[in-house]
Amino acid sequence: MLPTVDINGEVGRVVLTGQFDFSSHREFRQVCETLIANPEVKELLIDFQNVVYLDSSALGMLLLLKEKINAANKSLALVNCRDAVRQVLEIACFGKIFTIR
Amino acid sequence: MKILVADDTESVLLLMSRFVEALGHHAVLAHNGLDALACWRRERPDLVLMDMMMPVMSGPEAASVIKKESGETWVPIVFVTGVGEDTTLAEAIECCGDDYLNKPVNFRVLEAKLKAFSRILELNRKVREQSAILAEYYERSEEEKGVVRHLMEQMVNSERLADPQLEYWLTPAESLSGDLIAAARTPGKALHFMLADGIGHGITAALNVLPLTQPFYSMTEKGFTLSEILAEMNNKVRQVLPVGRFVAVALCSINEADGCVEVWNGGMPELKILDQACRVIETFKSFSLPLGVVPSHAMEFSPKRYFFSQPGTVLAYSDGLVEARNRAGSAFGFPRLLDAISTASAGRRVEAVKSLLLQFLDGKEYHDDVSLVLADFGVNEWSRPVCRQSGAGPDLIRLERLVADHKVLWRYALTLGVEELKYINAVPFVMTFVNDIRPLLPCKSDVFLILRALFDNALEHGVLGAGLPAARSIKGRAECQLERMKRLNNLQDGRIEMDLAGVSLAGQLVLRIRVKDSGKGFDWQAWDRAEGTSVSSGGQGLALVRSLCAGLQFLGSGNEAVAYYLPGSACKNHE
Repeated sequence: MLPTVDINGEVGRVVLTGQFDFSSHREFRQVCETLIANPEVKELLIDFQNVVYLDSSALGMLLLLKEKINAANKSLALVNCRDAVRQVLEIACFGKIFTIR
Repeated sequence: MKILVADDTESVLLLMSRFVEALGHHAVLAHNGLDALACWRRERPDLVLMDMMMPVMSGPEAASVIKKESGETWVPIVFVTGVGEDTTLAEAIECCGDDYLNKPVNFRVLEAKLKAFSRILELNRKVREQSAILAEYYERSEEEKGVVRHLMEQMVNSERLADPQLEYWLTPAESLSGDLIAAARTPGKALHFMLADGIGHGITAALNVLPLTQPFYSMTEKGFTLSEILAEMNNKVRQVLPVGRFVAVALCSINEADGCVEVWNGGMPELKILDQACRVIETFKSFSLPLGVVPSHAMEFSPKRYFFSQPGTVLAYSDGLVEARNRAGSAFGFPRLLDAISTASAGRRVEAVKSLLLQFLDGKEYHDDVSLVLADFGVNEWSRPVCRQSGAGPDLIRLERLVADHKVLWRYALTLGVEELKYINAVPFVMTFVNDIRPLLPCKSDVFLILRALFDNALEHGVLGAGLPAARSIKGRAECQLERMKRLNNLQDGRIEMDLAGVSLAGQLVLRIRVKDSGKGFDWQAWDRAEGTSVSSGGQGLALVRSLCAGLQFLGSGNEAVAYYLPGSACKNHE
């Protein structure tokens, strides 16, 4: 899975594709860290449009990301979560700590 | 390089050794095959230049011994050969040679070949070094896994999982499971079980669930509630694991005495309650974040409740089970699981699920840990301990005098004020002490039930005041618990004293339990006359105390109760 990045003004969008699991760990972290380090970007959107599968390690990566976003005083939202992705996020009750759109 | 040169012709030997030394290597000389062998054993050269035909022992003969003795270390052997030795050369290279040089030896060719071998030797050395490191790493990692597996096995405690009310199945996707099943009984005999799923697979996942086991077992043993156990587990996970690590947990308590199933679900698939016909009559979706994500004060640890009047089964499983996929890519799914359970008889249900899953996967492996728990409730009529300690009771007047004179074996007293009553769960707290008194160990369940009943009576009928709703129906029990929580939260004033003493009377240990509250008391004489047929929950609890104890007395306005229990005399028949 190679995440693509799209910066539009203050919003940085990370579009994920395929399986989002531990094998995506490195690329996901790199892409997000670059966006967080970018002073122009104030809000990060993780786009699940093309994600077919999400496992518990992916949830762990999201928690880590949230921690870093908070430390950088930026905001984060999970967007375009459908079917399988929404289900996993719901079981983990991530709606309580993440903005999901 | 150190190079062994073997030739029986002195002039060739001399020329070759000069060549070798001119190229910056160190030459060791031998005059025949046997000499070469001795030289090799002594000097351990990096490479051998060997004549074919030599007296005493031929080149190929010596070479084959060298190859045998050098074992894993690669010693290149280059035969130096004359015209017309093609057949023997071919044979020699086949069995033990690496290359050859034609006589007369050309200096440029020798130089090029030595360079080539030097490169190959270097490469060879690196590969061997790396494979040694790899082997060592592998060994270490296997050893570490072994340690964690041992730790897990100890922690999981299969002994306590062997509960007649429980059937379970746990199978790891890798050598270690990130799923954990644990079960234990409270002193009041309620069954607590936990199904946890750590993030990831293998060793890291296994390490994630380890912090849960200790609070689960030790707090269940003392009779703590699910919320208290969960808060402690959440603290432990947050304390021990790095950010981004969390554990999905389903925790369940089955209390036959109250006819109540409590469930807390943070991140696990729906728990289900099945009736005897295996129909799903209640589901408990995940309603909380998993443990380890946010601090305990930001979590909601209150369990959901289900009150039962008919027998049934609590069903819990990890997503690895229902999401196990076969070659065609379809998932095992809940309907298949339910089907397997409903067609099997109790005690064989796990086997049925196993075989159906194996059949379904048809040789494909699981990609995630698979676990399943089935816990029955209401199957056996809850046998209230009816072992009234009858016969000649202890001389209570003498006993009271001993207590008044402080002639006790040991004594434990505590007083809780209004604030403490709100956040300290008094009975498990006292049980920590009771669990350490050796003569009380075999009957700690009785002691727990007595303490619980006396404390509940003091709280509900004393401190919180009369008029709690009667708890006869399922709805009534839920309302009663809610009302109790509400009143306790709003409580302005009140205190409860608990006092346990061990007294030796005529060589027998008597446990004296006194509980006093700040309330107005109750009409215990009326209750006494009715012999515990009262319908309030407190009345039921006190009837239990009376049946367990050798004596139960109320003092004053009824706000002080003293129970006398004989450890070891009657507690054996319901263990």
